[in-house]
Amino acid sequence: MIFIAIIIGCVIGAIIGVNMPMISYTYSGYLAIAIIAALDSVFGGIASTLNKNFDLKIFVTGFFGNAILSILLTYLGQKLNVDIYLAAIVVFVGRMFNNLAIIRRYYIEKFSKEKQKNKKKEEKKEEKKVEEN
Amino acid sequence: MKKFKFKFRADITAVTVVVFIVCIVLVAVMLMQFRTVEQTDITEIENMRESELREALVEWKTKYEEVDTQLADVNDKIAEYQKTINGNEESSKLVDEELNESNLLVGKADVYGPGVIVTLTNTNDFQYIAEDLLDLVNELRYAGAEAISINGIRILANTDIVDLFDYSVIGINLQRVQSPYIVKAIGDKDYISSVLNLKGSGFIDRYNKLGRSVSLEEENRVQIPKSNSDFNIEYMQEVTEE
Repeated sequence: MIFIAIIIGCVIGAIIGVNMPMISYTYSGYLAIAIIAALDSVFGGIASTLNKNFDLKIFVTGFFGNAILSILLTYLGQKLNVDIYLAAIVVFVGRMFNNLAIIRRYYIEKFSKEKQKNKKKEEKKEEKKVEEN
Repeated sequence: MKKFKFKFRADITAVTVVVFIVCIVLVAVMLMQFRTVEQTDITEIENMRESELREALVEWKTKYEEVDTQLADVNDKIAEYQKTINGNEESSKLVDEELNESNLLVGKADVYGPGVIVTLTNTNDFQYIAEDLLDLVNELRYAGAEAISINGIRILANTDIVDLFDYSVIGINLQRVQSPYIVKAIGDKDYISSVLNLKGSGFIDRYNKLGRSVSLEEENRVQIPKSNSDFNIEYMQEVTEE
C-alpha cells in the first residue's frame, strides 16, 4: 500500500515538476536548500522507522517546517550578508549522512544475522545428517 | 520494513496519504530545480546571481577606469607632441623668414623694387675714378638704399671698389668695370633722388656743376642681381658673454 503510494506520488510529482514553469535562477538557491531540508527529513523518517520510533507529526512538521525555515534563514542570511545557507547545508547534509549510516548499519546487521542463522541451520542440518548417517 | 513498523504505531492510511503528498512535493520541486539548473548552464549572464553580476561589473568598471586613465595620459602626450610640433613649425617659419630676409640683405637673391638708376659716363675731359663711385654709393646708402649694384655687380658691405692700372680701370670685387657706369639702387626713389639732387651737397648737383655727365632716372621696377661672390668667415668669431 505504501509502496504503491510512493510510486504514484513520484509519477504525479514528476509530471507536475516537468509541467511547472521555470524558476528564475535567483530563487533556485532557496529551492535547493528547501530540497536538501526535505531530503533530510525523509531520511530521518526512514531511520526512525527502522528504530521503531517513527512519529507522523514530527515527520510532517519536520518536512515542511525545515524546508520553510531553511528558506527563511537563507533569505535572512542574504539580507545580513552572511552565508547562512552554508550552515544549513552543513547541518542537513551531516544529518543525512548520519541517517544513512543508521540505515546502512540496520541492514548490515540484519543481513549478517540472517547469514548466521542460515549457517547455524546448515550446521544443524549437517549435524543431523551426520547423526543420521 | 515500513509496513511492518506502521502497523505498530500510527494509522496506516494517514501515513500513506502523508507519504504520497511528500513524494509529490519532493519530486516536483526537485525536478523543477533540475530543470532550472540545466537551463541556466546554457544561458549565462541573464541568470547569473546578483553578487556575481556585481563582481563582474566592478571588475569591468576598474578596467574601464584604468583604460580611461591610460587614454587620458596618451591624449595628454599627444597634445604635448602637437604643441611642440606647432612650436617647431612656428619657429622654423620664423627662422625661414629671417633667413629669407638676411639672404636678401646679404645679396644671395635677385631682388627688385622701386628705385633709381644713376648713369655716369666718361667724357674726354673727365674720367670717373673709384672715389667718385664710392662717393655715390655712400650717398645712396645715406639716402636709405636697400640694394645697390654697379654694372650688374651687387655692392655689399664687403665689396671693394678700387682703381686699377694707374686709374685707367675701376675694379669692383676684382672685376673690371668700364664707362658707362650704371648704378642701380632700390629704395624710396623720391627720397633718394631728392637727396642726390640737393643743391650744394647732392652728388648729382655737385657733379653737374663740375660739368660731368651724370643722369638720374627714377624707376618703379629696378632689378638687381644677386651677388656672385661668397661671404667667407675665416677669422671673426662671435663674442659670447658669460
